[in-house]
Order: sequence, then C-alpha cells, then structure tokens
Amino acid sequence: MFKAQNHSISRKLTWMNMLVSGAALLLACAAFIAFDMITFRQAMLRNLSTQAQIIGSNSISALLFNDPQSAENTLLALRAAPNILSAQVYLPDGRPFASYSRDRDRHSPVLPPIPSGQTETHWIEDGQMALVRSVALDGKPIGAVYIRSDLQELHTRLQRYALIAAIVLSACLLAALLISSVFRRAVAEPIVHLSEIARVVSQEKNYSVRATPIRSPAELAILIDAFNEMLAQIQQSERALRKAHDELEQRVRERTAELETAKKEVEEFSHSILLAKEEVERGSKFKDQFLSTMSHELRTPLNAVLGFSDLLADERYGPLNERQQRYVKHIHTGGRHLLSLISDILDLSKIEAGRMELAIESLSVDTVFGEVLSAMQPLADTKSQSMSKNTEAGLAVHADSTRFKQVLMNLLGNAIKFTPNGGRIEVAARSVEGKVRVEVRDNGPGIPPEEQQRIFEAFYRLRESGKKTEGTGLGLAITHRLVELHGGELSLESQVGQGSCFYFCLPAAVTVREPLSRKTESSSISALPARILVIEDDRATAQLIQSQLTSAGYEVMVCEEPQSALEMAAQFQPGAITLDIVMKPRNGWEVLSQLKRDKRTAQIPLIVVSIVDQPSMGMLLGADEYLVKPVNKSTLLGAIRRHVSIRPATAPGRPILVVEDDAATREFIAELLSAQGYAVATAADGAQARAQVAASLPELVILDLVLPEVSGFELLGEWRASPRTADLAVFILTSMDLTQEEQSYLRTHAESLFNKQEPWQGALLKQLERVVSLGTPEKV
Amino acid sequence: MTRSSDSASGQCALHNCISIRYLRVWQFPAAVIVMSALLHVPILQAQQPKVSEYQVKAAYLYNFGRFVKWPPGLAAGKDDSFPVCVLGRDPFGPILDSTLAGEALEGKPVVIRRIGRLQDAPDCRILFVSSTEENHLKEILAAIDQAGVLTVSDIPGFSRRGGMIQFVAEGDRVRFEINLATAESARLVLSSELLKVAATVRRTPRSGD
Repeated sequence: MFKAQNHSISRKLTWMNMLVSGAALLLACAAFIAFDMITFRQAMLRNLSTQAQIIGSNSISALLFNDPQSAENTLLALRAAPNILSAQVYLPDGRPFASYSRDRDRHSPVLPPIPSGQTETHWIEDGQMALVRSVALDGKPIGAVYIRSDLQELHTRLQRYALIAAIVLSACLLAALLISSVFRRAVAEPIVHLSEIARVVSQEKNYSVRATPIRSPAELAILIDAFNEMLAQIQQSERALRKAHDELEQRVRERTAELETAKKEVEEFSHSILLAKEEVERGSKFKDQFLSTMSHELRTPLNAVLGFSDLLADERYGPLNERQQRYVKHIHTGGRHLLSLISDILDLSKIEAGRMELAIESLSVDTVFGEVLSAMQPLADTKSQSMSKNTEAGLAVHADSTRFKQVLMNLLGNAIKFTPNGGRIEVAARSVEGKVRVEVRDNGPGIPPEEQQRIFEAFYRLRESGKKTEGTGLGLAITHRLVELHGGELSLESQVGQGSCFYFCLPAAVTVREPLSRKTESSSISALPARILVIEDDRATAQLIQSQLTSAGYEVMVCEEPQSALEMAAQFQPGAITLDIVMKPRNGWEVLSQLKRDKRTAQIPLIVVSIVDQPSMGMLLGADEYLVKPVNKSTLLGAIRRHVSIRPATAPGRPILVVEDDAATREFIAELLSAQGYAVATAADGAQARAQVAASLPELVILDLVLPEVSGFELLGEWRASPRTADLAVFILTSMDLTQEEQSYLRTHAESLFNKQEPWQGALLKQLERVVSLGTPEKV
Repeated sequence: MTRSSDSASGQCALHNCISIRYLRVWQFPAAVIVMSALLHVPILQAQQPKVSEYQVKAAYLYNFGRFVKWPPGLAAGKDDSFPVCVLGRDPFGPILDSTLAGEALEGKPVVIRRIGRLQDAPDCRILFVSSTEENHLKEILAAIDQAGVLTVSDIPGFSRRGGMIQFVAEGDRVRFEINLATAESARLVLSSELLKVAATVRRTPRSGD
C-alpha cells in the first residue's frame, strides 16, 4: 500500500512534468508552424502575383497587336519556376490568347471574374494555388494572366517542420523526465520518507524515530521539522504519562497498603466498639431496669405512707389529739416531698437517657392554662397571691399535654414559692412569628444576674430559699429540659426587686381539640340511658342489632336511609353510632367520612359493623371500632360499652376487685373504696385475680400492672379475649412508667388509667362514680 | 483551473480561425465554377463577329502611337492636338473616326485629318499613306523627313522604300514590318515591345539620300 503510494507520488510528479512541458511545447510548435505556414503562404502568393504582373506587362504589346507567339515566348520564362504548374494569357473577352504548362498539358481553364476595383484574385483548388491578374494599359483592361502553382513547397516545409517539432518534443520530454527525477529526489523522496516514518510511528508506536531534516523545499523542510517537533512532544508527553502512570500505580499500591492497615485498625476498633456497645447496652438495660424498679419500688411504700397518713388525718378511726394530727401531717408532707423528689429524679434520668417520650398533640392554650391555674390555686391561696391568665382566643400549641402542664406547674410553683404573700402571678401566651410564646411572670424579689446563669442547673437552689427546704432543686432543670424536648428554650428576664419572667416558645398548632370533651360529654349523659344510632339499610339486621342493644338497656334509633344518617346523628346526638358498610344508595365509607368531617357528629363514637373486612380502612376514615360480621351480642355490647362508658341502669351489687401485690397499698385502696360505700374484693397477685374473676364476675377491676407471676397486661389480655369478660370494666392503677404503645394499648383495652405518681385518689373515685352505679351501694 | 480553461479557449479560438480560413479557401472554387458557367455563353458569342481588316488597322494606328515616343520639342510646338492623318483616298471610312474617337496620345486628344496636299503632312504625328499614293511615295517621304511623323502604310515594300511601318497580311492576321533606321532618322523612339511583336524589323535607310 505504501509502496503504491510512493510510486504514485513520484509517478504523478513525472507525469505532471511531462504533461506540462509536452503541452507547452506542442502548443508553441503548433503556433509557430501555423504562423510560418501563413507567412509562407502569403510570400508564395506575393511571388505568384509578381510573376503574373511581369508576364502581364510583357504581354501588353502581344495582346495589343494580337501576337500570341510573343506572349507564349514570355510565358516560357516560367520554366525557371518549377512550382508553376501552368499559366495562360487571356483576351479581355475571355478567350485564351497564350498558354504555358509545365507538363505540356494545354488545358485552359475558364477564368473567374476579377472582383471590381481589384486587379487580381486568387484561390486554392485541389491543393494548388491559382491567381488571376488583369492586364491593363492606360487604365483599360486589355487581357488577363492566369497562373497556377502547386503547394509542394508548402507541404515540404510543413513536413520538415513536423519532423523538427517531433524531434524537439522528444528531446524536451526526455529532458523533462530527467528534471522530474531531480524533483522526485527533492520533493517526493522526503515525502515518502516522512510517510514511512509516520507508518513506523502509528504502527509500532515508536516515538523515538525522527525524519531526516532537509533544507529545501522550504515547505517540506517546515513540514518535516514540525513533524519531528510533534514527535518529540508526543514522546515527551508519553514519557510523562508513563511516569505519571507508574507513580499512580506506586501511589495506589502504597495507598492500598495504608488502607489495609487502616482497615485492620478499623476492624480492631470496631470490634472494641462492639464490645463497648454491648457493655453500654448492658449498662443501659440495667439502668432501665433500675429506673423502673426504682419508680415502682420507691413509690409503692410511699403511696402506702401517704394513703394511710391521709386516712389517719381524716380521723375516720377515732379522733387524734393535736400533736398526733401535727405528726400525721408531717408524715404526709414528708412523704409528698419524697414522692415529688423521686418523680423529679426519675424524670431527669429519663430525659438524660433520652427515654422521655412525648405524645405531641394540639392543645388549646386557654384550656391548659385553666386547668393548671385551678390546680395551683389552692397553693397560691395559702399565700394570698392573685393568679391570672392572659391568652388570645383559639391559641393552640403542639405539645405533650402532661409535660406542658408539668412545665407550667413547675414555673407557677416556683413563682408562688418565691413571691411574698399577697404577690401577683400571671401566666400569659401570645402568638409570635408562627410560634406561641408562653410567659410566667411574678412581682417577686427577682433574681440577681450572677444567679441567672446557674438557675437551670440541677440541684441548684436560690440562696434565699435555703431557709425553707421546700422543692427538690430539680424543678427548673427538668422544666428547662422539657421545654427543650418540645423544641423551645426556657429563658429568664429578671431584675432584682422588679420580679421575674420565665418564658419559652412552642410551635403553634392550627386546630384545637377540646381535651376531655368526650369524657365530659359522656359523663353529662351518664344519668340517662345511652342512645345508640344504628345505621343499617337491611331491615332484618337492623332489627337484630336493635334487639341486642335494647335488651342491654340502650335506647336505639334505626336509620335505614344512609343519605339521611348525618342529619339524624346531628339532630339526636346519640351516645354512639353503629354503621354498616355495604349500603345503597350511599355506602358506609362515605357516611363514615361524612360523619367524621361534620363538627356536630365528629366526636360521636362510631362502631363499624360490617361484613367487609377492612378495619384499617375504617380506622383511617376515623371509625372508633371495627367489628366484622357476624357479631355476637357480647362483642357488640363490649364495644359499645367501651365507647359509651356507661353501664346499663340495672347494676348488680357486685364487688370491686382490687388487684395489688403491695399489701399496704392494697389495704389502702380497699379502705378508700369502702369508705365510699363500694363492695371491695382483693387479690394479691395475678393468679389470684384470674381465679377470682373466673369464679365470679366482679363489678369492676382496679388492676396494678406490676404483679408477681402474672402481670396486669397478661390479665387484661386474657379478659378481653374471653367473651365472658370482654365487657368487664378495668381501671389501671400503676406506678410504672409507661411507653407510648403501652399507654395506647391500655387506653383501648381498659376503661381508665391512673398513675400513682400523680394524686390519683380523687380522680379514681370520680371515675368510679361515673362507671359504677351507686344505686345499690353495699357496705362491707 | 482558470489557467487551463483559458488555454483551452485560446486553442479553440485558434482552431476557429483556421477552420474559417479553410472554409473560405474551399468555398472559392465553387463560386468560380458557378460564375464561369454564367459567363460561358457571352464569351462564345464574342468570338463570332468577323472584324474587318481596316477596323484592325485603325486600332493598330492608335496602338502604334502608344509604343512610340516623339521628340519633345516637336510635339509641343504645334497646337494642343495629336493629328492622325490619312493621305490619299481613305480606305477606313467612318471606322477610323469611331475607333479613335475620344482617344488621346502623348497627353493630347487625337484628331483625324484627311489631307490631300503634301504641305499638310509635316504637321501630322501619324500619317497613313493610302495605296493610291504609291507613285508619289518618294516625294511624300522626302517632304516629311525630319518632321517627326510616324509613317504607316499597306503599300507593299513600304518599309523597304523608306516608310516606317508597313502592314502585312499573314493569313487572317494583320501583322506589320518596321524599318527602324528610318524611324530613328526621324528621331522617333520605338518601344522594344513594338519591335517584339513586329513580323520583321529592318534597318534599311531611305533610298534616294
């Protein structure tokens, strides 16, 4: 291929040279010959014309005196010119007068007329040149001379020229061939050489070769120099590249080794971390166990101390003298203090351990303020302090109800404690940039700046309060942490003598659900038999449900047209609604969402009773309970009872079963209930409770969760699973710290939940009043 | 590119030029043949009329004048005409007049005179001696000797007897003899052209001197 190209370029150069020189020479020869032929022909013509003229003037007298012999003698002179083929002298009338022929051919041609105004004319005929010239004397024509010449000379000349041209041409082409070989050496060979180098470079990747530099032609020299330069640069960069590559590989090797080492270290480290983690987990688990044990084990005896001291103080078992009363009070106060101290320590531990869980909901600020103030009012009253709240209507926050109240109570408690008698305390809230700013303000002595820094530390107490040993020193620390958990920060503005203001911000909420409204509602209708709305378009089913509910003492309304269900529910405000799903023209899903969207009916407990097994769908749309048909009577009544929270009027005089492993607490609860006129039975552990319930169904069970052998959760689960005990009312009373799941489980499976950490006696009794009919109180 | 097209057009122009030339060259003979075909008939007809002897001789009289040079002083001395005279009985008749009418010789208009007296003869430049005067030939020639008169006659032996040009018949053709000696003695210069076509040129001096 390269050979062919080599040949091609040199052959092309040669051809080019040959063609150019050949063409130029041919053209030049042709032009020269053409010019010479024309010139020569003109000379011939001139010559012929001269000869005709001579003959003419020598024939004048012969013509005038009619002497052809004389004219022929004149013509014979033409023998000296071998090119003259023939000549004639004519009379003016065209008759031949005398003639001459080189070949003795006496042929006299007919003459053409001479164009007027001219004396001669000529033409070429059959490769011969003919000329006619008129003979005149004194301007009068007296005859004509015709002369005819061959063009032999012209032809000979042409042939000679052709020969010369051919020789010159061949000589020139030979010269061109020689010159082009020189060119080839000068031009083609460097190019061929260059292309050979290029082939070596491209095929063998050998960048070290170089093209031989030449001096001329200049362009080729530049090309070769540039090519060499390029090769040098490529070689250089290739070398650099290879070096970089080697370095990179070296570095990769080093880095890999480093990584190997690091990996080994990390593995070792992670192993140690794993061990440490296991250690930490063990510790954490131990801590959890410790905390829950502490909360339970510390509170249980304290509850007994507090409860019995209360009972003693009530003088129910005989009057106490003044000193006894004082001591009992000391016992009670000390117990309370200890309880709150324990609670605080446990709270703080929980926060520090990150185990504090918040149940965030939308809370009406005004409502919370009201509750907190009413709880704190007695304490303020003891110091004749005025308490007020100041909040915008409809203001709501995202917060955990219990903890928000705890925060407010702590701050208010502090304010009451440090503000002198007759002081003024205000709790206020306002909307600030999408948040709610809550303030607790007093006109007490204020806090000096140096103490403001340390006030939120645990176990820090104001010097002033050192005299009185009220408070744990943990209140503000816990409050501070709780506010932080809500995403806010507790801050203080205070000047000595000007009072103090504690404030923090909480995220604002849009909708406000009235807390406890359902409870209050259900409690409001507790005296009346509950009214149930049955939405069911199948008449037979509707009658069945109706009869089941009526037999249990409920007032039943049946709605057979689902489209009018909303209006009926809104008008009659039933205690609960049962809803079928497969209905026409409007299905149960639509009715459900309608009822839950409407403000008037949204809070009415709704129990879906359907053959459609999609409880999750129902719950999603806001159903409170989902029962799949066929539904037996007890299941239906259990569900209704759970939501309506009211017992039918016909209450049997069955005892209340108190399940409590701590003897003191058990006795205290029994005493408390007995004092209220309830019949009480007791069980010391889960097994006993299980046996007692199995033997005879109690009116209600007050269940502790932490029990030996069988826990409260297990008992509750068993009871709910059995149709016999599914409707059994259960109050949970525990000192256990409950997780969110546990709380939500208990809320759905138990009627009420009381925490021993808080004052619970009053609430328990109040709830009992609602649930257990006092119609037939039975004294033990 | 441009250069090559230029050279091509140049070659083309040159080729055109040559071809045009050839066209002209080869077209010409065709025109000749056509023209000659047309001219053929009148040429044949022109040969037909028989020219009379004296018509030819009248033309010769004039043509002689074209090949003869007269002595300068002689021609200028007379009036502004060139007299061609006939002595004796006129054999030409009106043919002489019609042939020479409007012609000029020596730059002067030709006039024809028919003379009867010998005294008028020296004024003539060309004198035709009629055959009727054969007997007075000696006196006539003597009378015009030295007068510069070209003498012409068809009298037999005229040139030998001192005349200058004598018509002779040679078949159908009219030819003439010249006596150069008498012409020279009359100071007339005869052109070699004239001598070339003469049937005979003699150098016989005029007898009787």
